[in-house]
Amino acid sequence: MADDHRDTPDQSVSRRAFLKGGAVATGALSASLIPGAADAQLPDATEPDPHRTTVELKVNGVAYRKEISNRTTLLQFLREDLKLTGTKMGCDRLQCGACTVILNGRTVYSCTTLALEATGGEVLTIEGLTKDDRLHPIQQAFIEQSGYQCGFCTSGQIMSTKAFLDRVPNPTEEQARLALSGNLCRCAAYKKILESVMAASRLMRA
Amino acid sequence: MAQQSLPGGPLHVIGKRGPNIDAVERVTGRAKYTGDIELPNMLVARVLRSPHAHARIVKIDSSRAEAMPGVRAVITYKDSPKVMIWGHRQYALNEHVRFSGEAVAAVAAVDDETADKALTRIDVQYEPLSFVLDPEEALKPGAPQLFSDGNLEGQPRILTRGNIEQGFAECDKVIERVYRCPTMWSGSMEPRACIAQWEGDKLTVWASTQSPFRVHGSLAAQFNLPDGNVRIIASYVGGGFGTKSAPHTDEILASLLARKARLPVKLQYTREEEILDSNTRFETKMYVKVGAKRDGTLHALHVKAYINQGAYHTRLGGLGNQATHVYRTPHVRTEQYRVHTNIPNTGPTRGVGDPQETFGIESAMDELAHELGMDPMEFRLQNVKRSGDPIARGGSGTEDGRVMSQVLDKCLEEGARRIGWNRRNPVPGDGQSGPLARGIGVACTERGGGGGIGGATVKVNLDGSAHVYYSSTDIGTGSRTTLAMIASEVLGIPLSTFRTTAGDTEVAPYDGGSQGNRTLQGTGRAVEAAARDALQQILASASPMLNNAPPADLEIRDSVVRVKADPSRNVKLAEVMQRRGRSVVGDGQTTQPQVGMDVERTTGAHFVEVEVDRETGKFRILKYIAAHDLGRPINVTVVENQIEGGTIQGLALTQAEELRFDPRTGGCLTASFIDLKPPTALDFDPRVVEPVIIPNEGILGPYGAKGLGENPCHPGMAAVANAIYNAIGVRLREVPFTRARILHALGEQRPAASRTA
Repeated sequence: MADDHRDTPDQSVSRRAFLKGGAVATGALSASLIPGAADAQLPDATEPDPHRTTVELKVNGVAYRKEISNRTTLLQFLREDLKLTGTKMGCDRLQCGACTVILNGRTVYSCTTLALEATGGEVLTIEGLTKDDRLHPIQQAFIEQSGYQCGFCTSGQIMSTKAFLDRVPNPTEEQARLALSGNLCRCAAYKKILESVMAASRLMRA
Repeated sequence: MAQQSLPGGPLHVIGKRGPNIDAVERVTGRAKYTGDIELPNMLVARVLRSPHAHARIVKIDSSRAEAMPGVRAVITYKDSPKVMIWGHRQYALNEHVRFSGEAVAAVAAVDDETADKALTRIDVQYEPLSFVLDPEEALKPGAPQLFSDGNLEGQPRILTRGNIEQGFAECDKVIERVYRCPTMWSGSMEPRACIAQWEGDKLTVWASTQSPFRVHGSLAAQFNLPDGNVRIIASYVGGGFGTKSAPHTDEILASLLARKARLPVKLQYTREEEILDSNTRFETKMYVKVGAKRDGTLHALHVKAYINQGAYHTRLGGLGNQATHVYRTPHVRTEQYRVHTNIPNTGPTRGVGDPQETFGIESAMDELAHELGMDPMEFRLQNVKRSGDPIARGGSGTEDGRVMSQVLDKCLEEGARRIGWNRRNPVPGDGQSGPLARGIGVACTERGGGGGIGGATVKVNLDGSAHVYYSSTDIGTGSRTTLAMIASEVLGIPLSTFRTTAGDTEVAPYDGGSQGNRTLQGTGRAVEAAARDALQQILASASPMLNNAPPADLEIRDSVVRVKADPSRNVKLAEVMQRRGRSVVGDGQTTQPQVGMDVERTTGAHFVEVEVDRETGKFRILKYIAAHDLGRPINVTVVENQIEGGTIQGLALTQAEELRFDPRTGGCLTASFIDLKPPTALDFDPRVVEPVIIPNEGILGPYGAKGLGENPCHPGMAAVANAIYNAIGVRLREVPFTRARILHALGEQRPAASRTA
């Protein structure tokens, strides 16, 4: 499973093919809706497109190989190409941390990381923390301490916690505050988030 | 939490601590927020926005955009229904644009890249008009006019009690001060998002809204549809804080595009759009005149407030009831001028105008106490309304009712004890040497709750599990959990078997939505009624299985139906439901209860100790006691979370989150998180905030609960200003309390001897 090369047909439809209306996978979309006259302006599908690249990377232990637009951010790749919507877009400007994922063991803001930059790498998202429906101790701690309110920033908070506790398993509260200071919570559930991080540290060391 | 009891017996579920019932969804990324939903062949929408603060569209040509491959629909003001949206001041798209950032056109395309490119191919010719940003300026003769009937929104709101002139004449001490709050950010972590889908003439919209039925009504009106042809779904909402409490333009734009393109359309605002085109916290300028008798009896209060409504508004706005409902004051006059200017839309934000009003009133009370030579806490205790005191029932100044279950005095006493009020400087700013000065301050606040119509359905399944359906939302307030706890308490069915469906106008009855301290109280009453309806049906079905014991003699405990007087005569709920062979559906639709003359308010008092660095102007919070009345707590963990978070949100306004506008262009200068600086875990030490629940029981809410969510956000600005005064002897009358403002005020400080009262 872990080394599967997944490239499901409905996800591999390129935008160009979609626009040309020729892809059978988009058959639900009536061909009459596609402006035919414009088709001639598009480059032939067989030419290599300098704006597109094939990336290979592992996400949550699963290997993927997909052709993407070069401008695709890692956040877009996760949410739109892989349908892993647990990672959220809060600002798209590396200013809030809602999109935090772990790339090769370190946290990154996926909104301002190109998917290309993750080529050959290993990405861990919130969906990858749960193994066989068993919650990760960090998730358990966030539940027990109610370390969230609306939940929109929670995936990012938890991924920051994961990368932090992997490196600093027994932190002080001050270290934990600093480590999570790149993750905004507008509900300002910071007190219970901090309690969650400290509880997670205890659970993971138990 | 001590076990509390009601006439019906001890409580088993309510009043406990515990995680939310949807916790797993929220911590695993499985909870589907609006932006996470994808429909087949769904298009992406983008919005073109005005670069001018005030302009007329002379010509708009979208033909080049429409001709682009991949573009499925373009709309301009010509496509907008000529039906005013909520505030009755704007269409979804307008020929006359009134703020920089106002939507002028929108595109739906097969992907975001195409949609973005299409925006650049919409040709708009503007006639720029002169603009005005300040509300007082906007009322002067010759000011640029936003609307044909002028810039004043409606009539000034004037409320009177007693005789204000006579009142001031009878005072021994009168002060006059001006307090200002700027336009402030109000958004949530999840920017506005919606998806519109037409199936024939049925419109379904997934919306990130607090109030699905308000959006429902808005879209039914815009498209002239019967109610049954509209469905709003807001299952998981990533915060709201008021910004998402009113219908907005985005849902209409997505619906228009979807209708034109004949495909589903998703419209997600960027962060910048969310800041500019939402309903942000309004600027206030408050002229406060307040007087008291020599013995400290508050006697007369006059508030004149200018409120910057921005270009449009959402019906809701203006100050709250701090001037009339906190203290016994025989003579009161409040005047509110709600003025349109060329800044973005404003609207309710956590507490609506209460945080701004609390800043003005509670700063003035502090200043008056000092002028009288009184301890500001004792001054408050002497004057706050207590249970049984007269209070206005409606919106007039006349005190025709009496306030019940009021424990503001107890909030003050308990808060003072916990902060160590006697540690404060007897003379403000004195007794400290070196650059660091400490001080302690207090502020009170209040609000109503639970307003209006509530609706909910409770279903008990054939296996005895249960489900609560409601159309209000859980925007982070824990309502899925607390509402299910109410049903669990009534039915005797364990909370663990409950599921909830929130925010769906097709499956749940009408309800006012999640705003104004109302879901727990208003929807909660409906849930309680629905659960009691379901309970009666179950007990009636169980009666024949228990030797025809009268249903009134039966109860359910831990999913076992039993005879109250002889619990050994019992039958499992699942067996009753199997025998019955049909679901039980309990209906709960409730109105605002009226208990004679009785009025109920939710109150609180915040105490803060600050340390101010006289050399850098920086202050930090050492200790913060947030003492609140919330009636009976339903879930203590949820209550703590609301108080802790709301307090930090209120404190944020003391340092940041100001929307500033360029006087040359009218454009917003701070439309990003970097500029607004909402607090991180480092800006305020969250550990210093200590929530205190003052024991109480309300008279109107389910199991005596009162709505709470807004209140913790109210007192922060005033409490901190009062604490800074106590620390360094300078009075800050304008937020945010930047280092520059504090240093400037210190520079103007007169010698300490002349400061003393």
